[in-house]
Amino acid sequence: MHVSPLSWIALTCALVAAVIMIYYLIYRPPLNGRVKALMMLAVGVLPIMTAMIGNLEGLQATEHQAFCGSCHTMDMHIADANDAESLSLAAIHSRTIKFGDKSCYVCHKDYGMFGYAMTKLGGMGHVYMFLSEYMWYDMEEALPKIHIARPFKNDNCMQCHSTTGRIWNGVADHNGLLEDLRTGTTSCASAGCHGYAHPFSKPDEETPSHAEAHSSVQNPSPEGT
Amino acid sequence: MNPRAKIEKFLDTASRSRLMVYACVLGLIALALMTWSLFDQGWIPVMMAMSVGQGIGTLSFALFLVIVIIDLRQAEFRPSIAPLPPKPEDD
Repeated sequence: MHVSPLSWIALTCALVAAVIMIYYLIYRPPLNGRVKALMMLAVGVLPIMTAMIGNLEGLQATEHQAFCGSCHTMDMHIADANDAESLSLAAIHSRTIKFGDKSCYVCHKDYGMFGYAMTKLGGMGHVYMFLSEYMWYDMEEALPKIHIARPFKNDNCMQCHSTTGRIWNGVADHNGLLEDLRTGTTSCASAGCHGYAHPFSKPDEETPSHAEAHSSVQNPSPEGT
Repeated sequence: MNPRAKIEKFLDTASRSRLMVYACVLGLIALALMTWSLFDQGWIPVMMAMSVGQGIGTLSFALFLVIVIIDLRQAEFRPSIAPLPPKPEDD
């Protein structure tokens, strides 16, 4: 549990407001101007500050793996992403500092102009699906049913792998499929290319070979990609 | 009785102290929900804080505003500048 300094401010506001409200409930002073000013603080100003800081902290919390992993159906996805031995795309990316604890969000967020809002709307869809269906399944039942809502966009990969670098273009398959990859016709995270990001969830599908995965781990090339 | 008359009757007869008690109780529930998410950042506390918690908090503040409206309706407004004394009439 990490409590940020901002959270302590919110907590202090909440505590002061609660003390004033409890005082009112116990002693019931007459509602004159002075008491009303105090209650304005307790019922209005301080809770609003708590709510605003809570929003800020809450929205930041939604970017962390712990938030995504708080649904049991994501247990295996999180475990694989954090497995130091795993060679899945999710694990390889989670090991880099740019992704790290926020790897779910960094890969799955919408990078468009209204990306943040659209990502949050998508998250609400996940909540609906979890509450209406998936929360009743155990992991074994849920795993074959879990699928990405929309095909994974290559644009998300291209936030880092720009497709213009020397090393990236040096790969023959990249060169041959350049337009398809840029337009998203061929997915980077598909069977035959880099494989699925969470291959354990698709046991019958093709995933990158160990040799290929090892070569990408041993020769990380963020520059020129 | 039309809705406007109902509201006016409510504002004329409602007990301010009782409304304040409701506002405080709702406020305490809202604060509990909102502070829960500061310590436990799973999806349930975060979503509860940002939806139910803030909804209840807004209701609590709305009740306080109703008290203010009741007070304003019952207040006797006096002009801040006293009226000028009548001019002594010339005899």
